[in-house]
Amino acid sequence: MKNIVVCMKQVLDPEAPLSLFKIDPEAKRAILPKATPPVISPFDENALEAALKIKDSQPAKVTVISLGKKLSRAVVRAPLAAGADELILLEDDLFDEFNTLLTAHALSSAIRNLGQYDLILCGIQAADTNAGQVGIGIASILDIPFITFARKVELIGNTVRVEKVLPHGFAVIEAPAPAVVSTSYEAGELREPGVEAFMSASKKPVTVMNAQQLGMTTVPASPVSFRKMYQLNRERKCEIITGSSPSEKVDRLMSVLQQAKVL
Amino acid sequence: MSPVSESYLGITGYLIFWLLFVVAFFFFIQRLIFLFNLIRLGRPENRFDRLFFRIKSAFVIFFSQWSNLKTTSLRDPAAIGHAIMLWSLTLFAIGYLIFIGLGAGFGLNSILFNTTFEGIFFSVLDIAALLVILAMIWVIIKRYLIVPERLKREQDFTEKIIQPLLITGITLLMLFHLGIESFRYAAYGIPDSGSLLGKPLARAILATNISQVTYILIYRILWWLNYVLLLGALVYAPYSKHLHPLTSFANITFRSLTPKGSLKPVDLQKPETAGAAKIQDFTWKQLLDLYACTWCGKCHIACPAQLSGKPLSPRELILGLKEHLMETGSIISKTKKSNLTVESREKNAPNIMQNEQVEDTAVIGKVINEEAIWSCTTCRTCQDVCPVYNEHIHKIIDLRRYLQMISTTGTAHDCLKNLRVRGNPWRGTMHARTDWIEDLDIRIVGENSKVDILFWVGCTGALEDRSLKVTQSVARILQLAGVNFGILGEEELCCGDPARRLGAEHIYQMLATNNIQLLQSYNIRKIVTACPHCYNTLKNEYPQLGGNFEVFHHTELIEDLIKKQKLKPVSASRELRVTYQDPCYLGRYNDIYESPRNLIKSIPGLSLFEMENSRNLSFCCGGGGGRMWLEEKTGQRINEMRLQHALGSKSQIIATACPFCLQMFEDAVRSREESESMQVLDIAELLYDHLKIQQDNIRFKDSD
Repeated sequence: MKNIVVCMKQVLDPEAPLSLFKIDPEAKRAILPKATPPVISPFDENALEAALKIKDSQPAKVTVISLGKKLSRAVVRAPLAAGADELILLEDDLFDEFNTLLTAHALSSAIRNLGQYDLILCGIQAADTNAGQVGIGIASILDIPFITFARKVELIGNTVRVEKVLPHGFAVIEAPAPAVVSTSYEAGELREPGVEAFMSASKKPVTVMNAQQLGMTTVPASPVSFRKMYQLNRERKCEIITGSSPSEKVDRLMSVLQQAKVL
Repeated sequence: MSPVSESYLGITGYLIFWLLFVVAFFFFIQRLIFLFNLIRLGRPENRFDRLFFRIKSAFVIFFSQWSNLKTTSLRDPAAIGHAIMLWSLTLFAIGYLIFIGLGAGFGLNSILFNTTFEGIFFSVLDIAALLVILAMIWVIIKRYLIVPERLKREQDFTEKIIQPLLITGITLLMLFHLGIESFRYAAYGIPDSGSLLGKPLARAILATNISQVTYILIYRILWWLNYVLLLGALVYAPYSKHLHPLTSFANITFRSLTPKGSLKPVDLQKPETAGAAKIQDFTWKQLLDLYACTWCGKCHIACPAQLSGKPLSPRELILGLKEHLMETGSIISKTKKSNLTVESREKNAPNIMQNEQVEDTAVIGKVINEEAIWSCTTCRTCQDVCPVYNEHIHKIIDLRRYLQMISTTGTAHDCLKNLRVRGNPWRGTMHARTDWIEDLDIRIVGENSKVDILFWVGCTGALEDRSLKVTQSVARILQLAGVNFGILGEEELCCGDPARRLGAEHIYQMLATNNIQLLQSYNIRKIVTACPHCYNTLKNEYPQLGGNFEVFHHTELIEDLIKKQKLKPVSASRELRVTYQDPCYLGRYNDIYESPRNLIKSIPGLSLFEMENSRNLSFCCGGGGGRMWLEEKTGQRINEMRLQHALGSKSQIIATACPFCLQMFEDAVRSREESESMQVLDIAELLYDHLKIQQDNIRFKDSD
């Protein structure tokens, strides 16, 4: 049986309406009101879907690892409902979801702790910072190969076979297992859980570990720092195109767009 | 006088009579047991509560023929013919029991014959016989000459043969009745108490001057032919849809007594019982429906999916399932039996074959395809027009539940995922739930506000561009009337209707339980909402999960406020024709037809014009049952068809009382080339426009 690890991050809902976002410029953090729950980064959902597709075709165990200061159980348990087998939560006040170096170290320690792993999957980037540093960080810390932009991932014997998205097609890349692969959205949207998985998710094992349990007494400082965080003031200009018929409206719209050099 | 008391070739007539009866009755009962065993394959369902009421009301519905007569129109008056048939044949059935059963079978004819009772009864039967013969002529016209759309259906060879035989058979029974009585009178003398038609017919026979022996012979032949024909009908009925007098009565008795808008709950602790994929996954009541169907086709010609060219027909769903049950049922029951004894299963290799055949009992893809399952708007017209109380929607929802919860086909993925993760079905909305408030002073219940009534805004009312205006109008009207109301704001989650209608019961229950806990924690008792779907779910479905609230639709509450003179609409600036779209979940599901109409009528200057198909026959906008979040690729667009009906009313305004109807009509209006002259408004918007003027006037006076 193959062991697949999927790294999934809890993020501010990138689809939450703009009016709900508030910035705390002092703390350089976005604040969301309580009623809008965070979500799993959609890129990481593609990674889980890639893992579940492998599990569909061969015996495999899918372990999901999430890291954060305080994780919403309702949110991070969702991958279990979708079909993951086990959940490991790395929770500590020391953790900072914007410190990608720290995250890569903590995740690597947790993965090492697992002992056996054949494939590590993550999204190409997180939907909040869009940094895309954690995957490559894990690969370099664990000293294993790293393949990006996968649209399809297969585990054939001891080989990881990846279809990597290119601007005009794809390349097939093979690497010896274990390897880290980051998936693009072409890997597929995460499946909706069926009722059985939905109901049994609460019975699947969840392990919570803090920095100390991971053997991290000190955490590396972030090599990247935020200088300023502020809310973008977007000015909207709205012009209603009138016309006696839809086709006339379209014609006028086209000329306006052409004048504005949008088309 | 009784033909049974004679001997035929030395055999007493009684022996022949009872022998024939026993043989026919044996076949009848044998078939009934077979059919009974087939529906026992279904899952359990409790429909045995209030049994006395059930039976009593079934009698009333059945014999009044109300459920069939209510859809009678000039265009389709067939139900009148059916009622005449039923009433007449019921009289005949009673007559057969008395005069053939008791009279001939038990030798009581000597007491019954030539009594005043017999005379009166036969006179009534004479009239009934004539009416049935007329009805048969009507049937011939309807089946062969002017065939209505609802009866057009591919028939197999046996059906083609049976139909004329049946018409002949019923006509013969009627003629036999007249023949038997008149030849008896002719043979044995016309009594004073003789029947209405019997006497003149007997005189006509006597006028032929043939011998009495011949009259007696003809009388006996007719009598025995009549008897054999009756027994033949008894044997034939359970093999055909003509068992429906029995099965429809049972079906009406065991009809759903729960609110029309509440679906059967799923026990999520037993996920394996979620939904239906195979015929035996339906409950016994759902299978009984199949026997009750008379393929009258009323559902077929009322279904918006069918009329717009989608692959769904409620009639074909029922008939397809029935054929499927007949084909596979006997295999399943055999396998079930053999599964009881493990040894026999191990011994008998052929049973493994049978187990494989059980796989053939899958309904999805064989009887109904996935596109058809998703085509249903759950508008409930099929169930409303069904004279035998069949439950089409429950079956479709059970099939959807299987697709959504067990085989997870991914239909409406975005909507359902958004419901699960964000608690609303509108993925990608640019609004927060409180954005519509703008400068209105609205209380939020969670912020320690004491309110008399909660305004349940609903996802569409809060998150969909066009509907924000409706929500603002409702809030402003309530403010004008001085109602102390509040909203849940960001804490409100989808009521769960789309999830439930799309078959994702687990997501529905998750949302509903959260909402109920929230509402209870704020001690909410009364709720008003502008969405009929929220209204239905909060009112009729939340009680299943322990949430009992007094729920009002905004049109109900506002109507009441006008009655109490808290609001006074002013005259429209010009005369306008308004037509009203009955939302399915307000009208058919919850019988609210008048409040919205009264609101329109309360505005002087507006006149209401009904479109074709209104009230309980209202044609769906196409947005219900989760269809709002599904593509409409096949056939015509339902909303555009409905817009045509609205245009037919020659109105300037289409008023509606449902955010889905509003959106569907807006879309339909936009898709037309000439988009002027037709405005789509929620009744709240329409009304607020005519309160605003008044408010302005008052303000003007004050400043004077």
